[in-house]
Amino acid sequence: MNILIVEDEISLAKEIASFLKSENFLCDLAFTGRDASEKIAVNLYDFILLDLGLPDYNGLDLINEAKKAGSYASFIIITARGAVEDKVKGLDLGADDYLAKPFALVELLSRINAVARRKFNIATQDIRLGDFVMEVQSRKLICKGAEVDLTKKEYDLLQYLVLNHNKVLTRQQLYEHIWGNILDDQYDSNFIDVHIKNLRKKLNHHAPSPWLETVRGVGYRVSTG
Amino acid sequence: MIRLKSKLALFNLLSKLVFTALFLIFLPSIIERVNLRQVDNDLIQKREKTIGLIEKIGIEPFINSDSTNTFGSYNILKEEYISLERTNIEEELNQIEVSNRIIEDEEITYRVLNYTLVVDDQKYLLEIGKSLASIQNARKNINRIILVFLIFIILVTLVTDLQYTRIILNPLKKITSKLKEISSPSKFDRTPVKTNTSDFVSLDNALRDLMIQIDESFQKEKEITVNISHELMTPISVLRSKLENILLRSDIDPETANKIEESLKTLHRLQSLVNSLLLIARIESHQYLREETFSVQSLLGEIIDELNPVAEDKEVILKSDFIQDYQFEKANRSLVFSMFYNVLNNAVKNTDQNGKVIVITNIKHGRYLVTITDTGKGMNEAQMSYLFSRFKIRKGNDSDGTGIGLAITKSIADFHSIEVSVTSEVEKGTTFSFIFPEIS
Repeated sequence: MNILIVEDEISLAKEIASFLKSENFLCDLAFTGRDASEKIAVNLYDFILLDLGLPDYNGLDLINEAKKAGSYASFIIITARGAVEDKVKGLDLGADDYLAKPFALVELLSRINAVARRKFNIATQDIRLGDFVMEVQSRKLICKGAEVDLTKKEYDLLQYLVLNHNKVLTRQQLYEHIWGNILDDQYDSNFIDVHIKNLRKKLNHHAPSPWLETVRGVGYRVSTG
Repeated sequence: MIRLKSKLALFNLLSKLVFTALFLIFLPSIIERVNLRQVDNDLIQKREKTIGLIEKIGIEPFINSDSTNTFGSYNILKEEYISLERTNIEEELNQIEVSNRIIEDEEITYRVLNYTLVVDDQKYLLEIGKSLASIQNARKNINRIILVFLIFIILVTLVTDLQYTRIILNPLKKITSKLKEISSPSKFDRTPVKTNTSDFVSLDNALRDLMIQIDESFQKEKEITVNISHELMTPISVLRSKLENILLRSDIDPETANKIEESLKTLHRLQSLVNSLLLIARIESHQYLREETFSVQSLLGEIIDELNPVAEDKEVILKSDFIQDYQFEKANRSLVFSMFYNVLNNAVKNTDQNGKVIVITNIKHGRYLVTITDTGKGMNEAQMSYLFSRFKIRKGNDSDGTGIGLAITKSIADFHSIEVSVTSEVEKGTTFSFIFPEIS
């Protein structure tokens, strides 16, 4: 998939690009609004990551421009301005998602994937994990024909780890994904540990779950061999 | 509290009643005096007429020396009489007085004129009387008519006064309702209220100018927070992405991974500190909307569900005692969620094994009340004094937070006009009380 990263902070744009390339995306960079405007006019992109705080351009105008030019790119707004109405305005103009800086790269990836699934109508396939099967569509975890009774938070946590399988996720990344950043100040690494502990207890009640790993001093990971 | 309209109407009514009462008290005596004067003039005229008659035809037709000493004449209805008699009194009389006469067993009050005159060296006393009964009757009738008339006037003017004050005070009503409706200065309706009363025009204009000023300063503050946010978050964002990319590399050794994670954690603390301060600034410059209505009880239930796994893990009892629910109007749900969450999360954190945290909802003195009580460590007075301060950051040894949570709680409470109070005792526990604005 083709992604244009519109970001005036060059080193941030490069980090995002390096991460997305490792996830097999094709990345293009634009450091100014004019540059972005030209690139959008010439190339076809599936995604445009758009920083609203461009020095030479109002990012929101760029969305308008692209939509008028018939671009079918999906916009994900990334901004550090943090103004409440920016989010509303952006989504009103037809942006597909909104991420406040600083965000976790894995969070950005999961947002892109979610928009892609909606856009291309990709049915998420069930995921096999040892004796367990995660039915992403119906939000169920099945073990040998029986459903594992998980709370909403436990399921969200597990799904996030599963969708980012083979990557270590820090407690903070997990916390941000589930609780968002309105409770940023109340972040407590213990929360994630408690939920993982409960989750493991429930899983092991059905079958062993060695694929859910604790990475000492870093976080958690789901390994799929 | 009485409305201005009612006050004016009440004043009008009272002033009319006083005026009427004075009228009713003084009017009868004025009328009586006027009437008496008229009667007196009448009597004097009659006296002159009689004297004229006597001069013309002599005294004989009235009194002749042999047969009668007195002459008297009543008209049929005894309303008037005249009498003339010889008298021997020394003094000259010329006076008018009220006296009762019994005539044919009937007592009648007369106004009587006494006058002495001398004819042919003989002194005579002339008495002319006029009954006051008709005057007294007339007075009663006049009083009655006046009373009815005044009551009628009072009622009519009361209705028209009420109507009129309602109409002239209507612009004021519009201005106050404009003020009541808004949740923030930017929402103030700037179209001028239609009125030709100059006071209302200047009130409306002054309010509008004030609102514009407040709105402008909020806008400025908003710009500042947006700029600070951008300037601080961008470098944090760069650092974070770089560190996360390093952590994702497969060839990284565990020791480095651990260090990177610790750096990320520190960076996160910086991020959430900045975010918290910006959050407070945004709340205080009214950048959040207050347009939601929700059940406080179900919101508290959600928070309890969220914190229960942690409480259970610590073996802390977290329970609710919901006596009363409340639909909180014109509020921001996610902010109120944060407000309670911060306090409840602290309560669970600060309570040891087998301790208790109880959330109670109730109504006290007509106001909704939520209390969060824990049996935790409690606080001493010094700790209590900077509890809500955002500048004295209390770092717990087991907490990843910035300790600014209670300052956030306070500013959210202020934003919603919720009063927060705290009582605490060391080693006994702490109680937070949230008193909601008066239920209108």
